Amino acid sequence: MTAYIARRLVLLPIVAFGVTLLIFILLQLLSPAMRAALFITDPRQLQALHEIIKTYQLDAPFHIQYWNWMKAVLTGNWGWSETARMPVLQAIKAFFPNTFELALLSFIPILLVGIWLGTLSAVHRDRIIDHVSRFFGISGYSLPTFIWGLFLLMLFYGHFRWFPPGRLSLEASLYVNSPEFRRFTGLLTVDALLNGQFWIFVDALRHLVLPVLTLTVHDTALLVRITRSSMLEVLRQDYVRTARSKGLAEPVVINKHARKNALIPVITLSSLLFVGLLGGVVITETVFEYPGIGRWGAAAALHLDIPAVAGFALFFATLTVLGNLVADVLYAYVDPRIRLR
Amino acid sequence: MRRIIGGTVTLTLILSLVFLTGVPSSAQAVKNPDTFVLATIGDPETLDYAWAYDTASFEVIFNVYDTLIFYDGSRTDRFVPGLATQVPSVANGLISKDGRTYTFPIRQGVKFHDGTPLTPDDVAYSIRRFLWIDRAGGPSSLLLEPILGVTGTRDEKGNIKVTYSDLTRAVRVQGNNVVITLKEPFGPFLSIMAQWSYVVSRKWAAANGDWDGTRETMRKFNNPKKEDTAFFAKANGTGPFKLVRWDRAAREVVLERNDSYWRTPPKLKRVIIRTVEEAATRILMIKAGDADQIALSRRELPQVQGVEGVRIIDDLPQYLISPAVFFTFDIDPTSPHIGSGKLDGNGIPPDFFKDIHVRRAFAYSFDYAAFLRDAYRGKGVVPKGPIPPGMLGYNPRQEYYTYNKEKAIAEFREAWGGRVWTTGFKLTILYNAGNVPREIGARMLKENIEALNPKFKVDIRALPWPTYLAEMDAHKLPVFFIGWLADYPDPHNFAFHFLHSKGTFPFVQKYANPEMDKLVEQAKSEPDPKKREALYFKLVDMAYKDVPQLYLVSPVVFTVLRSWVKGYYYNPVHPGTYFYPISKG
Repeated sequence: MTAYIARRLVLLPIVAFGVTLLIFILLQLLSPAMRAALFITDPRQLQALHEIIKTYQLDAPFHIQYWNWMKAVLTGNWGWSETARMPVLQAIKAFFPNTFELALLSFIPILLVGIWLGTLSAVHRDRIIDHVSRFFGISGYSLPTFIWGLFLLMLFYGHFRWFPPGRLSLEASLYVNSPEFRRFTGLLTVDALLNGQFWIFVDALRHLVLPVLTLTVHDTALLVRITRSSMLEVLRQDYVRTARSKGLAEPVVINKHARKNALIPVITLSSLLFVGLLGGVVITETVFEYPGIGRWGAAAALHLDIPAVAGFALFFATLTVLGNLVADVLYAYVDPRIRLR
Repeated sequence: MRRIIGGTVTLTLILSLVFLTGVPSSAQAVKNPDTFVLATIGDPETLDYAWAYDTASFEVIFNVYDTLIFYDGSRTDRFVPGLATQVPSVANGLISKDGRTYTFPIRQGVKFHDGTPLTPDDVAYSIRRFLWIDRAGGPSSLLLEPILGVTGTRDEKGNIKVTYSDLTRAVRVQGNNVVITLKEPFGPFLSIMAQWSYVVSRKWAAANGDWDGTRETMRKFNNPKKEDTAFFAKANGTGPFKLVRWDRAAREVVLERNDSYWRTPPKLKRVIIRTVEEAATRILMIKAGDADQIALSRRELPQVQGVEGVRIIDDLPQYLISPAVFFTFDIDPTSPHIGSGKLDGNGIPPDFFKDIHVRRAFAYSFDYAAFLRDAYRGKGVVPKGPIPPGMLGYNPRQEYYTYNKEKAIAEFREAWGGRVWTTGFKLTILYNAGNVPREIGARMLKENIEALNPKFKVDIRALPWPTYLAEMDAHKLPVFFIGWLADYPDPHNFAFHFLHSKGTFPFVQKYANPEMDKLVEQAKSEPDPKKREALYFKLVDMAYKDVPQLYLVSPVVFTVLRSWVKGYYYNPVHPGTYFYPISKG
């Protein structure tokens, strides 16, 4: 097992840099004048185009640009992100904890509700509970996040004023930015508790309700379907029939014998889901004015903010590789038939 | 089955959305009475007064720093003293008879936010730094030109051509005054100073790693990187508000009242400028009272009209011509937008627009009134020339083009010795992607031209900004849409950049008219306002006759505020809201 993990970790930097090399190759399609668009945003600056190209060395050949970038990255300088108005590494450190907090708080309900409902559906197949859960599954999955998010915002903020957009309320935000508040993890809910400020914990949670709700709907639906079909598959197996004929109570059969085996595909999917949550919730972050990393990544791509795009890609390639590794290890742990070589 | 369910649910939700947006906000007590929250769409680029060139940056800068003179209320042609105790004029002797020397007596007893006193030395330093920093794509040329007679501090090879002595000779401290000597008399000088002469503390700059104002250290402060200047994310001004922080992660700027302001301190204790990209979210915020002002596009405006507690101030003029239509006189032959590149019915030759009949035909083919009505809901004016309404030089009686099918046909028949009409042509009109009014304008132009003759084939195409920029620079766009917002409220800014061969647009269009050049230069230095106006009237008429461009709209803007906001006033030159006079209640 350890050898397997070590081998996979050795591949990690190769994969990560391979991804960034690919991005730089793609960026070759952009002429220096197009890359200057990051700096020339107004017609009044048109005449400065060529000087901008020279100042930022946008016409340097691709391999020199990549080599310079990689050298800098290896020394800890990931470059400057125009779209974030701060160094790339600082941007990742600033935005990632927010997205991580959101993803974590969404992932737990997704996992719990998804597996629970999926199991229930499979066990009571073709009964009411199954139809209802499948209905919500399909609608949740097919509904665009944008519509769902805006709807929730209009209902619970616009109409009821219960859950506002943003990260914190005005008072909480002023306190959090004052010297009295110390940041430990970057996750506001955790830090609020560590600072002993329970009201900030509540305030942060209040602002997380709607984004979490938006995110869970889509992915829970997916998990329900996968769990259900996997469970159905397992429930047909001979050993389940044997367990029942041994006289074991049904809950024991389901929870002790069937579910664990049904979880194998669920584990694989979940780890991918989690990594996806970490990087791809641009729409939710935009609708709820939530300062996350997905929003920054999308803006960087749109504005051709090359250091930001490359840094973002590097970071997420690493996360994805690690996520896949965790999934594979968990997979081997859960299923004794799998041997990691 | 899946699709039906998904579709039904979506439909239900969309219908409920419609229902919910119709719910009005109830009358409520003033939220956060001493804090003003502005929800806007863009982040500042930098808080450095000499580096920034975008409105989001200046919205903060002009509330945190002061200039030597201010505009008088909503006027852009009259000034009042700021950090200078008098507005220089020939009458009070502070402008020399030859129009080249301006003396600004500096106010005493003013303090920076860090408590240190303002001195004339700080003023001289601030202006010299503005000239010297000259970052690529920045605003320094606005003062470099009138003061030192150059458009930049570097030549084409990047070598410095401005010396320290040039700076200290042109901008001098004389007792309690700061004296600025121009290369030549320049009518718009005070206009530029009112908008661009922000004052910072030299000692603070030096203490924070920026230029200390001396010859020895100056070299590395020319064309610095944005993030390397001391003023990037920190501020120490004399203005009505202090910068508490610019939180780039949370995308908000927090300002606090300056209790030691040299005028009566503002009523607001705090101002928060927050970037909220999603329009629906901004609209919900102002309805809930969580925002006191929001940015909105005209298309989104109907969603807040008639909402209780929200006040809209419309028909606010801007010194803006956007869009205008530009012809390229010498198109790059490799352009993908000119078809075959020949006048054979399947393309246009690179010099297609050199024939004035072609340009006039295009001018008559555009329905300006319908465009204003459809793309701007009638909110704007057709400018009749490159000078926007409200500015000196705008002639409301100027002849201008209107939609005229017969005249368009007549001009096309004469174009290129009749060959355009008999052979036909094919070309592409371009606009930058995402701009709906320009898309409407391009479509209108296309349809009207194609309706004249079946042999006329016009395509329209949206390009993303980077591609648009690159192709403008490479002279590949035969017909394109873009606009211009004033750098300062003087006609020279428009006349030069629209009509002078060294201006921004003629450069892209490869347009050069020596007569226009002479007239632009003459009008710039003419001291008599009446004579100046006459010269600009002549210029606008020349633009009408030569048709290098079509001037479609000068749109008006609006502000969306909560009704409890008091004291707000508008000035076309202000980059954003001036929070100084504002209170809530």
